[in-house]
Amino acid sequence: MKQNIQRLGYVVLGCFVVVSLYLGYVSVFWGPRLNAHPYNRRLIALEARIQRGSIYDRQGVILAQSKEGRRYYPLGELAAHPVGFVSALYGKTGLEAALDAYLLGQAPGDRVRMFWDRLRGRVPVGNDVVLTLDARLQRLAMQLLAGRRGAAVVLNPRTGAILAMASSPGFDPNRIEENYQAVQREKEAPLFNRATQSAYPPGSTFKVVTAAAALAAERGTAKRVFDCQGSITVDGFVLRDTVAHGRVSFERALVESCNSTFALLGLELGAQRLYRAARSFGFEQNPWENTATPFWPYRPGSLTPPEKMSRPLLASSAIGQGEVLANPLQMALVAAAIANGGVIMRPYFVERVLDPSGRVLYRSEPRTWVKATDGEVAEIIKKAMVAAVREGTGREASLPGVNVAGKTGSAQNPHGDAHAWFIGFAPAEAPRVAVAVIIENGGSGGIVAAPVARELLALALSLSGEGNSR
Amino acid sequence: MPASTLGRSRSVERKLLLYAGAYLGTGTAILFLHGYGKVPWTVLAGAATAFLSFILLHFFWSFKGFGGDPFLLPLVALLSFTSLLFLYRLNPAYAVRQFAWLLVGVASLWAVTCWFPRYQALADYKYLYAFAGAVALLLPIFCGVEQGGARSWLDLGLFYVQPSEFVKVLLVLFLAAYLAENRLLLSAGNFKVLGVFLPSPRDWGPMLVMLGVSLLLVIFQKDLGAGLIYFATFLAMVYVGTARAAYVLLGALLFLAGAAGSYFLFDHVRLRVQVWLNPWALIDTAGYQIAQSLFALASGGLWGTGLGKGMPEYIPAVHTDFIFAAITEEMGLGGALAFLVVYMLLVYRGFLVAVSSRDEFGSLMAAGLSALLGLQALIIIAGVSKLLPLTGIALPFLSYGGSSLVANFILLGLLLNVSHHVCFDGAGKEAS
Repeated sequence: MKQNIQRLGYVVLGCFVVVSLYLGYVSVFWGPRLNAHPYNRRLIALEARIQRGSIYDRQGVILAQSKEGRRYYPLGELAAHPVGFVSALYGKTGLEAALDAYLLGQAPGDRVRMFWDRLRGRVPVGNDVVLTLDARLQRLAMQLLAGRRGAAVVLNPRTGAILAMASSPGFDPNRIEENYQAVQREKEAPLFNRATQSAYPPGSTFKVVTAAAALAAERGTAKRVFDCQGSITVDGFVLRDTVAHGRVSFERALVESCNSTFALLGLELGAQRLYRAARSFGFEQNPWENTATPFWPYRPGSLTPPEKMSRPLLASSAIGQGEVLANPLQMALVAAAIANGGVIMRPYFVERVLDPSGRVLYRSEPRTWVKATDGEVAEIIKKAMVAAVREGTGREASLPGVNVAGKTGSAQNPHGDAHAWFIGFAPAEAPRVAVAVIIENGGSGGIVAAPVARELLALALSLSGEGNSR
Repeated sequence: MPASTLGRSRSVERKLLLYAGAYLGTGTAILFLHGYGKVPWTVLAGAATAFLSFILLHFFWSFKGFGGDPFLLPLVALLSFTSLLFLYRLNPAYAVRQFAWLLVGVASLWAVTCWFPRYQALADYKYLYAFAGAVALLLPIFCGVEQGGARSWLDLGLFYVQPSEFVKVLLVLFLAAYLAENRLLLSAGNFKVLGVFLPSPRDWGPMLVMLGVSLLLVIFQKDLGAGLIYFATFLAMVYVGTARAAYVLLGALLFLAGAAGSYFLFDHVRLRVQVWLNPWALIDTAGYQIAQSLFALASGGLWGTGLGKGMPEYIPAVHTDFIFAAITEEMGLGGALAFLVVYMLLVYRGFLVAVSSRDEFGSLMAAGLSALLGLQALIIIAGVSKLLPLTGIALPFLSYGGSSLVANFILLGLLLNVSHHVCFDGAGKEAS
């Protein structure tokens, strides 16, 4: 009988071993899936235990704040796209999502402080974030776009700091829980951040890239004179201008936005060099990698890869049509490249992150993103862009007493009237502000987009001047 | 008998109890600092009293020269203390009631070891156990109350009693006595069925009747967990008594047939199996509880969230059947495995007692009680982790519930009594 007992004992203890191994399997192999399961309320509850930090603009204006378990957005729809929203039902978007770890106090530097808070039974408080955005500029941008579909981006070309990011139509983040279903169904897609998630043909604003490529390939291009007949035919494909510009210098071609000239320059460059130039201006790349907001929703600019580029497609790509697509931030960065001597700084939103006691956890440092072109080329193009605003297509963007540089675009698209574009910067001799504006199906860039850019440049310059005087 | 050896073994018990006390003290300090409960001081007073009850029992045994196994009491103390800490953390009201039952349990342990140290006499009353067990199981059918889908409780005004918990112990006592008397007849077998020699029905009869009655009753009470425990314990003890694997095989086949039959007959059994196979499809209804339990098991990671830092309260009925999930969430996989080791040690010492017992009744009883203890822990832990279909039974010494706690303390007392008689030999051998 002793032997029977022994055997029974082994069986029972063996069962315990099996259960132990199985528990290990549940914990280690199932664990990640179980922890992320939508029916698991632990993540949401954990967040509810933490007081989420606030988001401020560069002047300390509150953009998002938690009070009595609710999240408030004082600017409402004016900053809805960059700031985003937090919802237990619909998740997080914008900077609320991108800076989640900071706002919840879950960043690596927060461990000790949060542990002490919990140990002492206090409500743990997340970190506050100070953005580069300026509420006044943001408000103006949204007001200028109101009633139209479009986007505007204002940034500092010397640092990459984003001063305003507007996308229209907007939505009210304060009432997103009630309205989400309706807002999401709207045809104009208000939740979509047109400033960074979109893909528009850039039209003539892309000529800046083509010009840089042509000058980089042959510096003598600047001295060339072209003959514009009002159209150019490439392998049977006809590319038209609005008028025949006749004999034009290189600078004149950019000022008058001559399609024939730039199509010809594109053909001379070849697909390889045009593609490489676009890449060096940031196309096909994501500037948010290795930043404080690495997963910012971004649709990189794109164009046909050289091996698939036909000659007619190459000609239309050179004037920003064909398959060239870009978002407004990308085009603002193209302007910034010319403004900043050919160097594009990495765009950023976060000025600094402060823990509840005011200690700085993170401070942004301007970082170079890509070298788009060399300073000499940038200087030639800048001169042409100044002339374009002074006497060319961009006259509507001119400001009294300030040298504004700019390039218009009226991008043909299959959805109706041309998209109205304007990219530019000011003051030309020492640029502090770069801008890109698009009005969907707005028509002529010089008439519709340039005035918006003018107002934004004016306010941004007065604000940055005020900043400088302090 | 070398008294020094005995004294040493009790001193081992004292040392281990002090460790368990330090563990309780740490947990209590955490709960106290967090301010759980309306009157934070109650947690200190309760913990002190609980510890004191164990240490007093220890001193009583030392004084009387009781030779029971020195490892069992500290292991049970560790489990009981954990139960109090977690119940207090989940809902102080549960902990207060469990605390009262713990004192009753320790008192019953004292009574069993003090009044019936000569366990051999217990073998004489086997039919009384059978009768008492049957009555205890019949009562809830006629005048019981239903809780958690099982009609197995008696309302005694001040508290509920679950007779099926005590019947587990009675079943072991009856089987041990019956097998000790008839095991040779049973293991010989003179009656051929399906190529297997079986003993005559006259020898089998009483045992099968007892088991059949108890299984029928749990079916009427809809208490699947108790039924499974009875059957598994029955098979384990028949194997120990007869060494005939064929019986176990036959029993297992019978069980599978019964399980298949009830799958087609009873909706609640079918639902259990469906939930076990795929709880995610039924997550809004019947699968909700097991899904929440799995979330809790996973959220603890390796080392747990820490006492009071998890969210086990999302699991319905977490304080009874699902306390293991709560413990795993807050103590992690490490803590969960540690408690499995505690149960393994308890079962191991139990089987050691069974092997060393000099009489067959003692061996059978100790083996049966150890198997019963281990099976309860295994079945509910496998249930809450979706290894087996979930059947609601209490996790010994950890789950909330007075009947289970007191019944398991009586089980422990019986085991200690058997070990008291082997210890004389064992101690002598050790000393020589």
